Amino acid sequence: MSRKRHRLVSETFGLKRRRERGDGEADPLRGESGSARAAVAELVRLFPRGLFEDALPPIALRSQVYSLVPDRTVADRQLKELQEEGEIRVIQLGFDLDAHGIIFTEDYRTKVLKACDGRPYAGAVQKFLASVLPACGDLSFQQDQMTQTFGFRDPEITQLVNAGVLTVRDAGSWWLAVPGAGKFIKYFVKGRQAVLGMVRKAKYQELLLSELLGRRVPATVRLGLSYHVHDLIGAQLVDCISTTSGTLLRLAET
Amino acid sequence: MLGFLSARQAGLDDPLHLRRAESTRRVLGLELNKDRDVERVHGSGVNTLDIEPVEGRYMLSGGSDGVIVLYDLQNSSRQPYYTCKAVCSIGRSHPDVHKYSVETVQWYPHDTGMFTSSSFDKTLKIWDTNTLQAADVFNFEETVYSHHMSPVATKHCLVAVGTRGPKVQLCDLKSGSCSHILQGHRQEILAVSWSPRYEYILATASADSRVKLWDVRRASGCLITLDQHNGKKSQAVESANTAHNGKVNGLCFTSDGLHLLTVGTDNRMRLWNSSNGENTLVNYGKVYNDSRKGLKFTVSCGCSSEFVFVPYGSTIAVYTVYSGEKITMLKGHYKNVDCCVFQSNFQELYSGSRDCNILAWVPALYEPVPDDDETTTKSQLNPAFEDAWSSSDEEG
Repeated sequence: MSRKRHRLVSETFGLKRRRERGDGEADPLRGESGSARAAVAELVRLFPRGLFEDALPPIALRSQVYSLVPDRTVADRQLKELQEEGEIRVIQLGFDLDAHGIIFTEDYRTKVLKACDGRPYAGAVQKFLASVLPACGDLSFQQDQMTQTFGFRDPEITQLVNAGVLTVRDAGSWWLAVPGAGKFIKYFVKGRQAVLGMVRKAKYQELLLSELLGRRVPATVRLGLSYHVHDLIGAQLVDCISTTSGTLLRLAET
Repeated sequence: MLGFLSARQAGLDDPLHLRRAESTRRVLGLELNKDRDVERVHGSGVNTLDIEPVEGRYMLSGGSDGVIVLYDLQNSSRQPYYTCKAVCSIGRSHPDVHKYSVETVQWYPHDTGMFTSSSFDKTLKIWDTNTLQAADVFNFEETVYSHHMSPVATKHCLVAVGTRGPKVQLCDLKSGSCSHILQGHRQEILAVSWSPRYEYILATASADSRVKLWDVRRASGCLITLDQHNGKKSQAVESANTAHNGKVNGLCFTSDGLHLLTVGTDNRMRLWNSSNGENTLVNYGKVYNDSRKGLKFTVSCGCSSEFVFVPYGSTIAVYTVYSGEKITMLKGHYKNVDCCVFQSNFQELYSGSRDCNILAWVPALYEPVPDDDETTTKSQLNPAFEDAWSSSDEEG
């Protein structure tokens, strides 16, 4: 019995046509090609904790995970598995429908407890973290879910909103949120525009990645150039072209 | 390749295995070829293309000026260099020509004696190919965006028509009038498509972000409204049951009819299981789409892993359907590409764009072994590529 027969046709004709990526090590940002968990762990290391005085848990974005795990469907599936296992929480960041922040559940829990320490709403928040977080892995919560399944009363829900753990979505439903994330979102949006502007102002609207990382950081970019570059690549706002001098970032025309 | 051939010869492999392998290899090698051309007849953008399903030989194209042209794709000359000639056309001087832009043309699914065309002049015309006369006209109250006739129907001759109004009209060719109306959408219907598997299943896509699957025999509403979040309210920002976060522009069933692909103006393409309406959550990335009317894209047929060819700005993006991987971007047009069709017998792709060109994307073949005889190679060279310079180094 020939072993060759069992190889998939797509493997025979698809993968061999693409040349092996031998220059993965030379490029600092593109070396990772493993699982989504490893990608999130690496991105979490890029997050500047000191900027927020360690009050925010390290947030990675879904688009950044796409830049490290090239196959999007596989990345989505692995992130969903991590979400179902309860290892990460996915947060809706308000500025874009598709922008989801990814936080390790442990980090989220410790930081939220630290943020509400000694405040009047501490009790409601602790009850929320203990009962709702492990049970429901979704991005948002409905009114009947909160009152009936988890036994929260209206004043307690108002306390949770005041604490910043829940954000109002529409009448009777709330997004899960990170207390103090407003500053992060502001820096993120400004930083993203600034880095995109750096690429846009370059001649032919393209920049070598190594040159971009070596440039002077503009004042509006507080979260770090490599953090924003991962997000731009994953959100397909720039095209990543491999050249003999390294990776080139070109502004997407569309 | 030799492995596949010898396995087929020895009976170890199914013959279909080799055929699918070779089709896949050819599709992966699609590129523009200097030897293949389509005659340029249109004076304004090409909106729609359709290749007849019987032989795959004749192609119809509809343009923004209302002109419909019929091309013969078969290469019956012995030369490798071949231009697909226009056999006939319904030009501006024809008495029955559409007044405004032709949005959709389609061959009659069972033979090439008839074709249908719908246009912004609020009509759907049925044409007789041999006499090039309009055999019948259906008039509507609103502009027609799209129409489709079922490719597998034997018990009915219904043409589904999507117009600017929210109702899908079904016109019966036998009786010559609109037989019934499907209600359920709230804004204009941008694309309609019959299932290639069941003759009574119709999918419609509308600007209200919804895609509905209908069984036309049922009097009460639609069967399923596709929901991108698969019923999980936690992810939806507004009310659920939308297939996209913007207008839904294009619909295409896979060739076996088991899956449905939709594109929307939220720059996403989604793959759905057509039997239960579930979003398979395959992520194709950003599929740029700013077309205000329908986008006509197509799926390959007969390859081992099917490919979808989507117009992406002025290029055509090729993805594998079930894994979402982007294979390549076919660059060649000067302006936005509006439509593309796949010829499954030869694995060729034809695309029409607003720059009035129809381009033929042909699998890259092996270079022919050069003959020893000089004269034969010279005669195969296209006269346009021959230069008139003398080959000697001296002047004059």
